[in-house]
Amino acid sequence: MMIKKIIITTTTFSVFLLTGCSQTAPDLMGKNNVSDATQIAGDTVTIDENRYGNENGAGGKYNSSSDGFQSIYFEFGDYGVSSGMENSIASNANVAHNASASKIKIEGNCDEFGTDEYNYALGLKRAKAVKDGIAAQGVNTSKMVIVSFGESNPVCSNPTDGCYAQNRRVDLRLVK
Amino acid sequence: MKYILLLLLSINLFAVDATLKIETDVEHRSRIALVDGSVVPNDKIFKILLADLKISGHFLADTTQHTGDITSNFIEPALKSKEYVLKYALSQATGTKLVIRLLKASDGTQVFKKSYSIPTTRKMPFLAHKAISDINNVLKYPDISWINRYVVFTRYTTPRQSEILLADYTFNYQKVIIRGGLNLFPKWADKKQKSFYYTSYAGLVPTLYKINIYSGAKKKIASSEGMIVCSDVSKNGSKLLLTMAPKGQADIYELNLATNAKTRVTNFNGIDVNGKYVDDESRMVFVSNRLGYANIFKKSIHSSAVSQVVYHGRNNNACDAHGDKIVYSSRESKNAFGSNTFNLYLTSSRGSGTRPLTTTGTNQFPRFSTDGSVILYIKHRGNGSSIGYTNLASQQSLLFPLGGRKIQSIDW
Repeated sequence: MMIKKIIITTTTFSVFLLTGCSQTAPDLMGKNNVSDATQIAGDTVTIDENRYGNENGAGGKYNSSSDGFQSIYFEFGDYGVSSGMENSIASNANVAHNASASKIKIEGNCDEFGTDEYNYALGLKRAKAVKDGIAAQGVNTSKMVIVSFGESNPVCSNPTDGCYAQNRRVDLRLVK
Repeated sequence: MKYILLLLLSINLFAVDATLKIETDVEHRSRIALVDGSVVPNDKIFKILLADLKISGHFLADTTQHTGDITSNFIEPALKSKEYVLKYALSQATGTKLVIRLLKASDGTQVFKKSYSIPTTRKMPFLAHKAISDINNVLKYPDISWINRYVVFTRYTTPRQSEILLADYTFNYQKVIIRGGLNLFPKWADKKQKSFYYTSYAGLVPTLYKINIYSGAKKKIASSEGMIVCSDVSKNGSKLLLTMAPKGQADIYELNLATNAKTRVTNFNGIDVNGKYVDDESRMVFVSNRLGYANIFKKSIHSSAVSQVVYHGRNNNACDAHGDKIVYSSRESKNAFGSNTFNLYLTSSRGSGTRPLTTTGTNQFPRFSTDGSVILYIKHRGNGSSIGYTNLASQQSLLFPLGGRKIQSIDW
């Protein structure tokens, strides 16, 4: 009986140790503590000025297209053009109109999280989405050729989400 | 308490890789010891011979490297408990020469003797493989000639640059066969491995070529805007399953090489790739995102009905087939990034008898051996990558370390 009590007591104590006390936290939202509480409890943001798709224009610092085009970036596993990229599509359509004599190569790219053919097909769908977006603004489809480079053409090789995001993109350039 | 113990036991059980599964049919395998009779004992060939014996599934090899006189029929008393002793001598003074003698362990009687010689030293691993496959045949075990085959693979070097290499199955032998530019998706064109197909990015659009590995003769097969990949070759080499996108849409086509006629096999406004002949080659399995994520499906080459083969996993983005057997890689975790996300599963074209083949690391690029008895795959675990082999019958596995460069595609 004594042993049983010891086991129960020890187990209960261990559970408290593991889970911590469930005592209610002190009220920091009191009249005199508002500003302190906000500083401690509020989750702060992290701004990455170099991240793609910022208000400085398509691709921001990381534009890997050439000849005046802007790279279009995609979410993980996705091949739809996001609303944040629509201005870049419009800009690319303008460049395409002005480069009437040249053919435009649209290159689909992926991050490294895919294998074999599927990743190349994903890059292709991205290139096709950009081509369709530009064509919708009046650019002749016969002027555009799409190619998927899958994960073979990374612009960033660090193992970070921000880096992977830079690789999920479509680049545009003139065929010379 | 017993539930906690049970939970811990379960976690431990499921953490065990297929490499550590209880080996079956042990009693049917021959116990064999290796005795190196070379002037200078060679550790490398010992390890290769040992790997060959293990992955064959037909031998229980002594992992101790013994030395002794190859010309003598004397068997060390400690080895008499084995069934066979393989004595060998390697010489690489000029080219490579390998002599083997297979002796009965009980009385030293010679069962088989053969001498192998090639003018180069680099291809030594192939002599070891040939010796073991010959011994396997002498003892009338099921054929393992797949260990003699070349592995062809692409690895990335720098952005938009790659190399296509040949290797033996252990990757001890490696030779670059195409370098310069971006060349991808090598696929053997014939059983004898004289030629392979690959995709070149040298032109405006991707182009499929066939190259003879001995003469270097190259022939253009087809090209396509977007992408073109030779996913599979029919047994007699007359037909190819291609992933192409002539209208910007990745679909699977069958190319008849005799007539040059292309038949569009899939027609879906999403992703259809990775077509592999299955059953009697009138059907194929393939990878499609038609349900919103990459998964394995099956369809007849000449009719439109499509059926789902796999009913688990969040991303099943690669597969291979042999007869009615299918192997596929599957991500079951929610985490899109990070390690331990892809495992290999074996199933049938009917979707029955599914079982896991790996349980740790990231396992991709599954490829059947020519006889369907062994599966090749690439395993990433921690910071390292390996090429792995799993013998489906014996459930024995082998891993050989790979260099740091990323593999793009592989065929066997």
